[in-house]
Amino acid sequence: MPHQKKTFRKESITVPFMVKQLRTAVGVEVEEVNDVDPSQHKVIESNLHRPGLALAGYVELFTYQRVQILGNTENQFLRDLPAEKQREAFGHLVQFPMPCIFLTDSNRLGDDLVAMATEAEIPVYRTAVPSTQFMALLRDFLYDQFAPQQTLHGSLVDVYGIGLMLTGKSGIGKSEVALDLVERGHRLVADDVVIVTKKEEQVLMGSGTDLVQHFMEIRGLGLLDVRAMFGIRAIRFQKRVEVIVRMELWDSDEEYTRLGMVDSHETVLGVKLPVVKVPITPGKNITVICEVIAMTHLLRHYGYDPAEVFSERLAQRIREKGSRVPSRGTEYFEHDYE
Amino acid sequence: MITREVTVTNRAGLHTRPASMIVRTASQFDADFYIEKDGYEINGKSIIGVMTLAAEQDAKLKLHFDGEDEEEAATAIEELFESGFGEVK
Repeated sequence: MPHQKKTFRKESITVPFMVKQLRTAVGVEVEEVNDVDPSQHKVIESNLHRPGLALAGYVELFTYQRVQILGNTENQFLRDLPAEKQREAFGHLVQFPMPCIFLTDSNRLGDDLVAMATEAEIPVYRTAVPSTQFMALLRDFLYDQFAPQQTLHGSLVDVYGIGLMLTGKSGIGKSEVALDLVERGHRLVADDVVIVTKKEEQVLMGSGTDLVQHFMEIRGLGLLDVRAMFGIRAIRFQKRVEVIVRMELWDSDEEYTRLGMVDSHETVLGVKLPVVKVPITPGKNITVICEVIAMTHLLRHYGYDPAEVFSERLAQRIREKGSRVPSRGTEYFEHDYE
Repeated sequence: MITREVTVTNRAGLHTRPASMIVRTASQFDADFYIEKDGYEINGKSIIGVMTLAAEQDAKLKLHFDGEDEEEAATAIEELFESGFGEVK
């Protein structure tokens, strides 16, 4: 049985981490409404909840472990109640240990309700972003945080904007090819250990580990820091993985593609990726091959498949009948003065 | 394929030197070798990979071996862990 790759995911993230990421990475302005230490509050899933029914008193199936969103509907509902009933309704909510509450669309809670949340040690935040938009942003962020991840052994390099995942047995020269690509102006994402995450349907994102980042090991030289040597232009922190380049020793029994480039596909975390098998032989410049793989992928992406174009040209010639020998590509050679 | 469970016994954990010992030993065998820590899995023949585990003393690791000489490889790697890489326990 071949070895099955393991997947892993985050168990939880803390509320302060989520809020910080919302402010910096997602770019949403969020302000604290009350003074509660949120460091021990954890978010454990990517779903959000609008606790309308809980406010109305029905708490049987209340998913209080989710991040709670109070939008226009919930706030209007509270505002329409007399003060005493407001406290009762809000009390249904804050009796549960929820991670935090977000007030969207610039909504405000009455001071007495904020005090109740503070009393129950529930952090409350406010944002001006409308509910649906805020929930889409937050859900996308949380979905990414809790998405299954997997490690791939190999190097991820951005070549002309295409994420090439160089794989192959240990010692075949993946890092050397990655270094050569960097030398030619391409950008290294990670060497040796690439953590991949499924971002959305058919999009696989890759990055290095926080510990290693852009360090690489080259046998005979030891550890190198690509960023320190080549500078910021030589690296990136994340890249979509688009093509798997499998480097292997030349095997005369193996059938290598002669026309179509893509031999097969491999599925990583449910994302189907084209695999190009590149046999390693002496004198072969794998770096240039990688550049060509990226360019061909780009051409294909924009609707031009060289193998198809050529076979159509051949079929056209055959249809023309009137068998003739191949003629020169130039009808008449003018003189060549050099 | 065989799987073995080991514990990091030396006090300093899997720092650079033990990591390179593991990789050097594993590379003597043909069998594929993966190390798993809490679902995070790396290729045991990659020094960078092994170091990313940042495994501390008492960390539990799963070792997966796959190949013709998997038994020999497993025994050799297990011995390394048991000896604490020749370091203080």
